[in-house]
Amino acid sequence: MTVTRQETETAPAVSVSPSKEPKRFRLSHWDARYTPYLIITPFFLVFGIFGLYPLIYTAWVSLHDWQLIDGNQGFVGLANYVELFGDTKFWNALFNTLSLFVLSTVPQLLAALGLAALLDRGLRGSAFWRAGVLLPNVISVAAVALVFAQFFGRDFGIVNFLLGFVGIDPIDWRAETWASHLAVSTMVMWRWTGYNALLYLAAMQSVPKDMYESATLDGAGRWRMFWSITVPSIRPTILFTVVTSTIGGLQLFAEPALFDPGFAANNSTGGSDRQFQTLVLYMYEKGFRLFDAGYAATIAWMLFVVVLLVALVNFTLTRRIAGKE
Amino acid sequence: MSTRLVGSVAATLAMVLVAGCGGSSGADGKIELSLGLFSDFGYDKLIEEYMASHSNIKIEQRKVKMEQHNTQLATQLAGGRGAADIVALEEGVVSQFRASKDKFVNLAEYGAKDLKDQWAGWKWNQGTADGGEFVLGLGTDMGSLGLCYRSDLFAAAGLPTDRAEVAKLWPTWADYAKAADTFTAKTPNVKFVDTGRNVYKAILDQTEEGYFAKDDSYIAEKNDKVKTAFDTAAALGTKQQTGALEPFSQDWNVALKQGSFATTTCPAWALALIKAGAGDAAAGKWDVTTAPGGGGNWGGSFLAIPKQGKNPKEAYELAKWLTAPEQQKRIFKETGNLPSQPKVYQDAEVQATVNEYFSKAPVGQIFATSAESLKPTYRGTKDSKVGPVFATALTRVEQGKQSAAEAWTQALKEATDAAK
Repeated sequence: MTVTRQETETAPAVSVSPSKEPKRFRLSHWDARYTPYLIITPFFLVFGIFGLYPLIYTAWVSLHDWQLIDGNQGFVGLANYVELFGDTKFWNALFNTLSLFVLSTVPQLLAALGLAALLDRGLRGSAFWRAGVLLPNVISVAAVALVFAQFFGRDFGIVNFLLGFVGIDPIDWRAETWASHLAVSTMVMWRWTGYNALLYLAAMQSVPKDMYESATLDGAGRWRMFWSITVPSIRPTILFTVVTSTIGGLQLFAEPALFDPGFAANNSTGGSDRQFQTLVLYMYEKGFRLFDAGYAATIAWMLFVVVLLVALVNFTLTRRIAGKE
Repeated sequence: MSTRLVGSVAATLAMVLVAGCGGSSGADGKIELSLGLFSDFGYDKLIEEYMASHSNIKIEQRKVKMEQHNTQLATQLAGGRGAADIVALEEGVVSQFRASKDKFVNLAEYGAKDLKDQWAGWKWNQGTADGGEFVLGLGTDMGSLGLCYRSDLFAAAGLPTDRAEVAKLWPTWADYAKAADTFTAKTPNVKFVDTGRNVYKAILDQTEEGYFAKDDSYIAEKNDKVKTAFDTAAALGTKQQTGALEPFSQDWNVALKQGSFATTTCPAWALALIKAGAGDAAAGKWDVTTAPGGGGNWGGSFLAIPKQGKNPKEAYELAKWLTAPEQQKRIFKETGNLPSQPKVYQDAEVQATVNEYFSKAPVGQIFATSAESLKPTYRGTKDSKVGPVFATALTRVEQGKQSAAEAWTQALKEATDAAK
């Protein structure tokens, strides 16, 4: 829409003064030079209003004793941050967040890579399979969580029922830290593996086929070709998925929240002993259950810093691992 | 050109924002009132009637889950917009919102104080502040305690099944625990109670002071009643006599359907939840009797009017009508929500009400008797922050993660933080 508006408004401006060639030249020069910026301006405007402003405002709130309903109760400087660093619940939430992130992202991206390689081999009815892997991502997270919460039920859950066949005692999936992390990670993997696989697949299809042909002539096996040709060729896409998964994974909220049966009631703590309380869940508890907006804002800012750091580390690591250039 | 572009983007945004807010008078010139509720207040028919008799008023109900309702309301009050014209405040959080009473209309300005005598004294007081000068909300229902039990499971365990006999089985909570032992010895595969958390809450709701003294000072660590309630409930958990269920959750519904627990504490409003969860197959199996330890109140709500609404006068008239005795009586007959007004629950028709699903139990009489004897617990401003800490502590005991003593120590520490 913005593009068409741009053109229609430029045209008359030019036709009013047809005699002055230099100005016309200047105009078109100006046009070529600045129009791209103009076109992306709306994004930055919207980002400014809905992204940057809240970010700065949150920082401002975090420096105050701020109650959700009653608002500003006075400037406290860095007191909230000092309290946060001594808060065991914060470190617990940070640990859970990182643990859930690793448990869900690493297998997820590896599985996506494998899945993409399979889809790339030209299966029969490829459109069907490709659409199929995206299906879990299309289904609303609430529905997914509801179903998985039933799967991992303690008394009547299907997972425990199946484990019973191999002689494993029923597991209380919400009670234990590792069990709850496993269950929540499964949910995340279910939702995002297919999505990432499609991204990889798209990248794989642009890898020149002659590289594989010459590798075959040189006697390379499938495995060798996958690691030496495919993976290095789709490196930018891998970097992209690693960064987006990092951002998404560290902000995990809906899955653990809905896995906790107390969330619908009054106890949104992520388990009886905060076993699977992520940073965002903790922020929610502080801000929206305990109405301590100042502290919640502090958690939000720390989360921002953590995401930034982890994304940076991941980016560097992945660039190293996925091949040198 | 760029300014025009900016202008058009800004205009579009402004339009979206304005459209999102909505007006309070509709296009047809009617006054629109919204009601922000959770669960079932039984207002559907009443609202239709009200609109029929007040042709200039249009009413919209917004129902969400309770936790969501409270959170939404808090953000709407903070933002100064978006709240319904009339909002329900549940008894557990009313003290929390009372602390922000400047965001609400003082109903005394519209003459609410004249209505005072309609309600049980304590119910009226819960909805007021400043020694009764500030009227925050008008009482809807109340949640006097009863105890629900499965008579077929009791029979299987060799316990009495008649509700008068069952009541004699447990005058106190210690007797209730004894009954649990008898039950478990006979039928070890069925849990005696759904969750220790409800037992704990019920015992605490029978005391006048819980976590906070009446002067709003925090007393949980020195109040023996809190400790006793915790120990009683935790002992049931340690002996694995509880289902370790999250109350009113999906798992709780499944357990009801499977008949995997035999008793649960039930305030009047819980009957509908049990019926919905257990389904028709369990009709006539559940019964209601007197709770151990006497009367207590759990739940019940108030209707309050946020200041940000545009038609406080009309909203007040509607709230007044919805909470009036005639309407409370009709709601009781329809949903079973117990009226918070003595004249209504003492009414012969209410007293004679039986609940078909619960083995024709005389619920009107059971809950009204319980209401007569109850002394409500004082709810501190931070009650709703402290309470959940003890609830999760009991869950840790039930899950076998901690001993009762460990859970208690951790809960006290967390509660002190929450009460700060």
